[in-house]
Amino acid sequence: MSIYAVDKLCRRVVHDAELRQSLERSPEATLRAAEPALSDEEVRLLLAGDVGRLSRLGANSFLLHQLGRFGLFGLDLPTHGERMRAEYAEERNARWGERA
Amino acid sequence: MAEIVGGFGVPHVPHFPSWVVDGHPLASEISRLYDEVGTRLREAEPDTLVVFTSDHYNEFFETVPIFCVAVAESAEGASDYDTIPHRWVRFDAQLARELHAGLVRAGFDVSMSRELALDHTVIGPLHFLVPDLDVAVVPVFVSAFLRPIPSAQRCFALGRAIRELLERDGGDRRVALLASGSFSLEIGGPWIDEGSHTGVPEPAWVERVLELLRAGDVDTLVAESTDDQLALAGNAGGELLDWIAMLGALDPRPPAFLESQPAFGHAYAAWPA
Repeated sequence: MSIYAVDKLCRRVVHDAELRQSLERSPEATLRAAEPALSDEEVRLLLAGDVGRLSRLGANSFLLHQLGRFGLFGLDLPTHGERMRAEYAEERNARWGERA
Repeated sequence: MAEIVGGFGVPHVPHFPSWVVDGHPLASEISRLYDEVGTRLREAEPDTLVVFTSDHYNEFFETVPIFCVAVAESAEGASDYDTIPHRWVRFDAQLARELHAGLVRAGFDVSMSRELALDHTVIGPLHFLVPDLDVAVVPVFVSAFLRPIPSAQRCFALGRAIRELLERDGGDRRVALLASGSFSLEIGGPWIDEGSHTGVPEPAWVERVLELLRAGDVDTLVAESTDDQLALAGNAGGELLDWIAMLGALDPRPPAFLESQPAFGHAYAAWPA
């Protein structure tokens, strides 16, 4: 997990319309061509829209939410939220109890 | 010697400008709260607005300065949200360079940015507060997102040093200070609210910050704004440091206006001179 490569991709999504179009058109090929290079696991998790797992592995959660904001990898903001809450359900329960 | 004509603080939710245009249920409340601050800011008739803000991984990503003063002649934005009306912002580059040099001489290892774009954290507040006012801006960036972040004590000291520089140099300008940010906010992370991609992880902390602001007790606010507390407040909880830096440049006193939006973990405030 290179973390920085995932963070950088998410940051580029905000500022690079061509990248967004390429990710919509050919997601895996675009991820495989990303610089810095993404690992096989990172590509798999991104394609699955598994933002919870990516966050758990160290990717920046603020930056990950940009994928949902721009509708990439089957994500939207509600889905992003659901997956993040599900990944951290145990910690949320421990901190907040019923509020979680 | 410049005259500090007031300190102000507001949030910068990127959706607020379009919500107001689209008639969102909170539109009138958002407009009223920004106008409470904006009216007082405009009445202060500033020549220059020093804006304490925290870049959201837009301008500073590969390299992240802890503190940075923008010394460009101007910049445009918002670089990250095209839903906020686009705006070119004129900078007070002379004052920015004086502040940058003065801070470095005073022992603050502050970076400078000679070319930049502005994100929603600056353009959003300007959109509401000074829609037509031709006020020059000096952005002062405080790193509040990517840890390590500076301590509250250091941010307060930065604000104090800026005040001393303004009072010593600064020409005959009227300078207003603006903090842009929230007190407790999680964006896209583990501590978001149910049914949203954002949340307020520590509402009790927001109430504590409001209580201390109301009392003008900045010393206690600084003491209690520990790194652990800011981390608990969310992945944007460090934005309180922008308020603390702004408050460092003011005489401690209760605000003339302070009102919060608890659901967002933020507030609107004014300390006119």
